[in-house]
Amino acid sequence: MAILPILKFPDPVLKETSRSVERFSAELSIRVDGLLDTMRAMPGGIGIAAPQVGWTERVVIVDVSGHKKGGRQDNHGLLELVNPEILAMGGSQIIREGCMSVPDYTANVKRAQWVLVDALDRNGKQVIIESIGFEAVVIQHEMDHLDGILFLDRVTSLKTDLFRRKSYA
Amino acid sequence: MGFFSVSVVGRDRPGIVAGISRILFELGCNIEDSSSTILSGQFAMLLVVGYPGVSSPEGLDKAFGPVRSEMGLMVSVNPVNDEDLSREKGFLGAPHIISVYGADRPGIVSRVTRELADRSVNITDLNTQVVGSKERPVYVMVIEADIPDGFDMKGLEAEFESLRKELHVSISIRPIETLEL
Repeated sequence: MAILPILKFPDPVLKETSRSVERFSAELSIRVDGLLDTMRAMPGGIGIAAPQVGWTERVVIVDVSGHKKGGRQDNHGLLELVNPEILAMGGSQIIREGCMSVPDYTANVKRAQWVLVDALDRNGKQVIIESIGFEAVVIQHEMDHLDGILFLDRVTSLKTDLFRRKSYA
Repeated sequence: MGFFSVSVVGRDRPGIVAGISRILFELGCNIEDSSSTILSGQFAMLLVVGYPGVSSPEGLDKAFGPVRSEMGLMVSVNPVNDEDLSREKGFLGAPHIISVYGADRPGIVSRVTRELADRSVNITDLNTQVVGSKERPVYVMVIEADIPDGFDMKGLEAEFESLRKELHVSISIRPIETLEL
């Protein structure tokens, strides 16, 4: 399977809202395989969203099981999420994120600590996933791509969060 | 294209960035990278600017005359060699965060950074701040540092252990973990 090129900002496709997948065909399965192979070939290789390869349909793939930190936390292994929706979310965590589509930049981003996601698999069968911690961050980051949202839109702080502002009252 | 560093320091107030950047824009300069902060009410900004067709800093320096006189800013302009420009922090090893904090006393910054320098650890960012109450001030220093590959971390930990006792501070070091997606 060919490894697909990753689009990089300012490619306008990355700011588009992707449309829902409607036909669960053999063609869809081939495209999901292409996305999966592309994800596996990337450094990190723990998440990818279809728009990152120029495919503007609502498909994300997440697999944190091989990651040295994420793999030690609760996770679902390989997740292929078609038309995913977040049903509920809660808590918060701040993690420094980077993105293949925004090279050379990392920033602290605030994400929900846990998410409940309703999605379909590549055959159109419903999957409901409750995810926490590291995997939940990856799911949220990838799902944002489906709405044209990059992590840059969610940066919470320029520098360390440790310092409180001094008050001179 | 000539490149220049422009440093700006002055009492904080609204309009400093707008005043500086308007001058740069009107000259046709391009702001490459910039960073700024406020320390104890002083606003400080460092910019690297590109100035097409200009290689000497005099004209640029002169253009800041009005903001110097009207806004009380100190502005200094220095040429930067093309080959010294780099797009990002050039980490040779792995980025780490070192936190140091304890009751305020002289020598914390000096002693800790000396040990890092002696081990060829490059500091890529540093913040220090006095927090806590007037009666019991607490000194907090956070260092972002580039730890070279194959570095003797055990040796540094041992040195930190003796600094903890000597300076009565807490010191911790950990890698910056970035989720690459």
